[in-house]
Amino acid sequence: MSDMVAGAPAAESGWRANVQRFGGNLAAMVMPNIGAFIAWGLLTALFIPTGWAPNESLAEMVGPMILTLLPVLIGYTGGRLVHGQRGAVIGAVATMGIVVGSDIPQFLGAMAIGPLAAWVLRKFDDFVVPRTKVGFEMLVNNFSLGILGVVMAIIGFLGIGPIVTSLTTVLGNGVEVLVDNRLLPLASLLIEPAKVLFLNNAINHGVLGPLGVVEAAEAGKSILFMLETNPGPGLGILLAFWLAGPNKAIRLSAPGAIIIHFFGGIHEIYFPYVLMKPQMILAAIAGGMTGIMTFMVTGVGLVATPSPGSIFAYMAVTPRGNFFGVLLGIALSAIVSFVVGAALLRFSKSDEEPDLDEAAAQSAANKGAKPATPEA
Amino acid sequence: MPSIEGKDIKSVVVACEAGMGSSVLLTTQLAKQLKPHGVAVTHSPVNRLNDDTADVVLCHQGLVSRARQAAPNSVVIPFQMFMGDPAFAKVTAAITNGGTLDG
Repeated sequence: MSDMVAGAPAAESGWRANVQRFGGNLAAMVMPNIGAFIAWGLLTALFIPTGWAPNESLAEMVGPMILTLLPVLIGYTGGRLVHGQRGAVIGAVATMGIVVGSDIPQFLGAMAIGPLAAWVLRKFDDFVVPRTKVGFEMLVNNFSLGILGVVMAIIGFLGIGPIVTSLTTVLGNGVEVLVDNRLLPLASLLIEPAKVLFLNNAINHGVLGPLGVVEAAEAGKSILFMLETNPGPGLGILLAFWLAGPNKAIRLSAPGAIIIHFFGGIHEIYFPYVLMKPQMILAAIAGGMTGIMTFMVTGVGLVATPSPGSIFAYMAVTPRGNFFGVLLGIALSAIVSFVVGAALLRFSKSDEEPDLDEAAAQSAANKGAKPATPEA
Repeated sequence: MPSIEGKDIKSVVVACEAGMGSSVLLTTQLAKQLKPHGVAVTHSPVNRLNDDTADVVLCHQGLVSRARQAAPNSVVIPFQMFMGDPAFAKVTAAITNGGTLDG
């Protein structure tokens, strides 16, 4: 017998779970390393020639960190996801092949070779470990990892590195075309709906972040870090629910959500509000486009991914001289999302809305054919 | 569909996409309520769940089919809102007052 919240399982189709899973794996390689990204971002913001405290010797850390350390960490983490500690080590070794064979930050390459090398080692271990003679385990384990690591590093150097470099160049050029023709705001048409389907990390850390880092390594900043992470649209939507929400419980929950979203940077908190009123996605798109347009016109960017997407993280990775455009873009996108969202909520208010909590609790109580458990 | 008695629940895991953001937020909240009852509350990326992770899995409705796939024999409870969702009250009530959880 089932007493799930109404309509839970059918709501999700298989492709969505698959895309989420794939994107989730990409994000899972990047997100544990965000702290290292922030370290790099701060070093860059402080010590490069255009930074807050230019310092030639300390700025020497910037290049090796972005070109070597961060890709190796991603390859390490990707390997660990596939085959534990041994996978992590071979992932890092293999990533070095890509890193050395290229002059751009090889994030996408590391996301490919790290898990691949670990997978190869896992297959090898699956076959060899049961056949290893007692007492030879350590010898076999160490040399299998070492030898396969060399092979995978060479494959990365000769094969995957160059492929990913050209792929990154093509994608980067595509973005450049969008920027040059002022079409970048159209990205919101894809990003905002995908976000509320919980593809936010996949898009930001799996796609936009790796491309942004290539641009930031050259230009010192990138607008790509801001496409998904702008907390403005979510803020506007939550404000709209606060003032024009369909019932009291939702209106009262909005202020707390605003704090968690805007200051804590947990954007997930506003997704359910959009999912319960799907037309609100229009407000998110309108706000997102406004933000990107403003960032583009004022020519601002960030030095690293603001993660989580909190206003504090934004301020920490905003380069010198970019604060006005960044704050203006966030503010305008919040205002536009709020105005559109509030209008949409007022417009659809004519039909009496049931209280969401009550409705869900009611359906749970109806379906569970047991003595009702008292609500805590 | 697996089910579990409230008194048999010794661990609850909150799963989200990365296991670093929204799940941590909920974990801190739930742990405050459930710790006095001897229930451990942890967080995890939904991809890393398995049947040994915990007795009860909580995750957002948008991720529930992946959670069920990852931990087919665990009780998976979906929620819609990150704050004040009746699912949390349901789990807390089952643990404190007894009762069966299905999912």
